Order: sequence, then C-alpha cells, then structure tokens
Amino acid sequence: MIGRRELRLVALIAILLVVVGLINPVFLSIANVRDILVRAAPLLIIACGMTFVVLIGEIDISVGSLMGFLAAVLGTITSSDHLHLPTAVGIAAIMLIGMAIGSVNGLLVTVGKVPSIIVTLGMLTLLTGATQIVMAGHWITNLPRTLRYFGVGSILGLPVCIVIATMVFVVCAFIARQTPYGLRIYASGDNPGAAKTFGLKVNWLRWSVFALTGLLTAVATLVSAPQLSVIESGFGQGSELTVVTAVVVGGTSIRGGKGTILGTFLAVLLICMIRPILTFLRLGESATYWEKAIQGSLILGAVLLDQLGRPRGKAAIA
Amino acid sequence: MNEVTQTRSNLSNSKRVAGAFPYWHETALLVLLVALMTTAHVLSPDFLDPGTQLELLTHVYEAGIIALPMTLIIITGGIDLSVGSTMALSAVTLGLAFRAGIPVFVAAILCVVVGTAAGALNGFFITRVKVHPLLVTLATLAAYSGIAEGVSKAAPVSGFPANFLALSSGGIDGVTIPGIIWIVSAVLTTVLVIRTPFGTYLYAMGYNEVASRLSGVPVQRIKYALYTLAGTASGLAAMLFVARRNTAKADVGNGMELDVIAMVVLGGTSIFGGRGTIIGTVLGVLLIHETREFVSWQTNRSELNSIFIGALLIIAVLLNRVFANQNSRTA
Repeated sequence: MIGRRELRLVALIAILLVVVGLINPVFLSIANVRDILVRAAPLLIIACGMTFVVLIGEIDISVGSLMGFLAAVLGTITSSDHLHLPTAVGIAAIMLIGMAIGSVNGLLVTVGKVPSIIVTLGMLTLLTGATQIVMAGHWITNLPRTLRYFGVGSILGLPVCIVIATMVFVVCAFIARQTPYGLRIYASGDNPGAAKTFGLKVNWLRWSVFALTGLLTAVATLVSAPQLSVIESGFGQGSELTVVTAVVVGGTSIRGGKGTILGTFLAVLLICMIRPILTFLRLGESATYWEKAIQGSLILGAVLLDQLGRPRGKAAIA
Repeated sequence: MNEVTQTRSNLSNSKRVAGAFPYWHETALLVLLVALMTTAHVLSPDFLDPGTQLELLTHVYEAGIIALPMTLIIITGGIDLSVGSTMALSAVTLGLAFRAGIPVFVAAILCVVVGTAAGALNGFFITRVKVHPLLVTLATLAAYSGIAEGVSKAAPVSGFPANFLALSSGGIDGVTIPGIIWIVSAVLTTVLVIRTPFGTYLYAMGYNEVASRLSGVPVQRIKYALYTLAGTASGLAAMLFVARRNTAKADVGNGMELDVIAMVVLGGTSIFGGRGTIIGTVLGVLLIHETREFVSWQTNRSELNSIFIGALLIIAVLLNRVFANQNSRTA
C-alpha cells in the first residue's frame, strides 16, 4: 500500500535524523523530538483536511487567516479580560464557526461556481480584517487554565496536541482509503465528469471537504493557540502556504485524484524538521533565516522528481 | 497577417457570442467606481481633492504595474504567486548592492535584472519542466522570499541618495514617475493585446491550449515570455517601492501577489483563462485602491479595508458568474 513517494520521504527523514543526530546527538533527544512533533501537530490536522480538498481538485488558501480569526474568537470568549465564558462554550463556538466558514467557501465553490482559489483568497482577506476587528489592536491574555490544557497539557505523558493530531491523522487516513466517502473523493478528483455520470454527488462532496477543512482548522486552532499565554493578531498567518506545501510535497497531485494522507503526514514532519535542523547544525545565528528558502526548494525538488520519473510520452501530453 | 487578423476577429466574435455588448463587466466596474467617488464626495469632499487623490495614488502604482503582466498570464490560464517574493528578492539585491558601494543606479538596474531572472526561472520550470504554474510559483513564493531573508538576514537597508529617491517623487503635474510608467505600460499592453497576433494567441491559449498548440501558436515561448515579463515588472515595482519608502528589506512586496490577483480578477479576467481586458484590470486596480483609501480616510480603521475588499472580490466574481450564465443561456 505504501507508495514510492512515501518511501522516498521516509528515507529522506531517516537520513536527516541519522546525519544531524551524528553531528549533534541532542537533536535526537526526547525533548527535541517532542518539540518537533508539537510544532507539526496543528499543521498536520489542517493538512489532513487540505489533502481531501486538493484530492478533489480544489484548493483552500484561507486556512491560515481562519486560524487567526478562530484564535481571536476563542480568546475573546474565554479570557477573563473579555467575556469570561466557560472554555466549553469557546470550543463549541470555534468548531461551529470554523465549519460554517468552510461551508460558505464550499457553497460559493459549488453553488456559486466561483473558482476555489478566488473564493478562499477573498475569504483570506476578509478574515484578516475580521480578526483585527475582534482583537481591536490588543493581545488577548489571561487565557483560562482549562483552555491552556489543550496547548500545553498532556495525556499519559503525551502532549494533548500530539494525541489529537494522531487521532485526526488515523481517522482521515481510514476515511480516505477504507470508506465509500473517501473513494468517492478520489473518483471525483480524478474525473469529475465520469464521477457525475456514475451518480456521485460531486458538488456535495466538494462542499463537504471545505466544511471538513474548516472544522479541522478549528481543531488545529484549539491545540495551537493556547500553547502560548497570549494570542497575537498575526497568529496563523501564512500557515496556508506551509500546509499546501506539505500536501504537495507529500505527493498529492494539484490536479486532483492522486495522493495519500500518509504522504501528507510525512511531508509535515519533514517541513517541521527544517528549522530545528538549521539550529542544531550550529550554522550560526543567521541560519534559520533560510528556512523558507529550503521549504520552497523542497516543493521544486518534489515536482522535479515527479517529472523525471514520469514516462516521456505522458509528459508531452500533459 | 491578414489571416491572423481574420482569426482574431473570429476569436473576438466568439468571445462576444454572449451578447452584443462585450464590455458590461468594465461598465459595471466604472459605475461602481463613479458611485464610490460620488459617495465619497458627499461624505467627505476633501477626499476628492486632486492633490490628495494624486498623493494617494502613489500607493498603488507598484501593484498596478505588476497587474498588467499578471492579466496576460491569467488570460492564458496561468497564475503567478511569486510576484511579491520576487519584489523582496529584487529589493534586497538593490539594498545589498548599494550597501556594498555599487552606484545606486547600477544597483537599481541589477534589481530589475534579478527580477527578470526570477521570472525567467519560473518560466523555465513551467515550460521546460512542465510543472503546473500554481505549484512552481508557490514554490518560488517561498524560495525567493526565503533567499531574500537569508541573504539580508532580515535587516533593512536605507539612506539612499536623493537623486534615487526622486524616482518616486519627480514627475509631471503631480503624476509621479511610477504613475507615468504605469500609464504608458497600460497603453502599450492594451495595444499589444488588441492589435497584435500575440494578443490573439493569449486568448486562444487560455481558451484551449492544446488546440492553440496544434494550430501553430508558440505556446511555450509565449508562456516563457509572460512569466519573465512578470518578473521584470516585479523588479521594477521593487525599485520604485524602495525609492518611495527609502528602505530595502526582505518583507517588501509581502502579500502583493494576493492584492494583484484580486485586482485582476475583480477587473473581469477569468481565472480559467480566455477572458479579460487590460482596461478591466486598470479599473479593478482603481476600484480596490479607492475603496481601500476611502475606508481608511473615512473611518481611520484600516482593518475594515480587508473586509470590504474580500467581500468585493467574492461578490464581483459571483455576479460575473451569474451574468455570464444568463448570457450563455440567452445565446
């Protein structure tokens, strides 16, 4: 079941672990591995939803600003400086709002027939403004301890965010491979016309993956926003790029129909390893500035590999 | 040539099957713009003062310049997400070259050259390696701004000489040099699109790339040229931005790609390709600019801006779809 792309990613991650570990053994310490996983958790949660969106042939670039907006809402509802409502109310609210905004994206794409990149670009812009209004120029502090638990707490010695991300990953991987819903998403992405002819509700499926991504973005916000004691207005900004990068590097085709959740998972790990590697190689203070450049080269490398591995004739047609 | 003209008129006819008048989108934008300006005139007459308007317009010239090649790219069915990061890379080149003691105008030329090279690299990956433009430019969006950050260590360079800063302030009758560049390039691009076979090819490619290629349109060469041109425009915009702000930093052009794409799409260019005009883009640029400036002017709360612009973008494209559907039904 494991594909060539996944094997390559596993090999790359293993090589990096060994090489960097030999140069600086602290890299393999439990504390550092835990740091990497904690950083990867929220991205993985969103990337699982994004994989479905890309699989069906769409894209959602509003997830980063949705995270920021949901964090602002969550903070405003629960912080003792603001509404000071129970944590459960805040969690329920962001789940609903996340899903609602995802649904609006989905409706505009399916019923409104507006291309998803435009819909989510509009939503990105809109939510950035909405976040600034909710935050009103201040940081949100005094988050309740029950909320902080989702960011810094642990279950059986494992950080909560890692546990939740693992659950999301397993469920999504199961849905993608083992349920009719998942297979229908692959079918719709591969050939929407044929899928429609076979009676699949392609538009309903499209709508559902946007709603799912909205919901998962809310989950990601829940486990990442309370990691720090304050919520800033730039929170989440730009994470759509990291998430899309992960999905693409993980082997999901931007044209839809091809890709796996496992590939996305491995790519998220790889991307989250870049910064710690730059730090642990002791290349000097300025090394971490190169993180983004390496991320970009990763995508280029991944697509180059794909292109080289493809039979000649096929490349000419595409 | 005659044959080409024939093809073009056929093509533009086929674009017009939807209705007798093909420019309803541009008309709608113009009406919106006039409505906005009338509202502005009623609510705060100062806003319409020519001096104020010209001063505010200096904020949008860089985006306007990049929007022109972006329109051509989107007409062919492509996209370029890397224009903002190309600006960052070019600006950092300019800053570091200047700090290294290279004469500022040589550094400025270098800035445009680096932008062009960055665009050409996009073009290489898109046409030679045949990777989807969304992916290529997503990668270079991260890569170029990453290199800009890495090379400059995110430190700003400022203190440019006055004769360089004059690039953004000098001009004729209050229209600054960047404004003149924008107007001239808009006119040239319009002529290019309307009056040359090249323009016809763009629409043909966006409408059906395979058919265009089989009909002998040099599809790959045109794409290569367009992405390179977008790089040149971004380099130029970076130079003008640095001259306006007197700072070169790796965050120059941050988010520019989204701004520019919003302007082009609001201007009526279809993200699927095959449809769009330069005049529409110019109106899109002006509409977003005036909305943004007026909201800030009126409320002093710039955060309302992005809400308006996000909503405007979605509603405009939605309406466009609704009208387009109706037209095709009546046709």
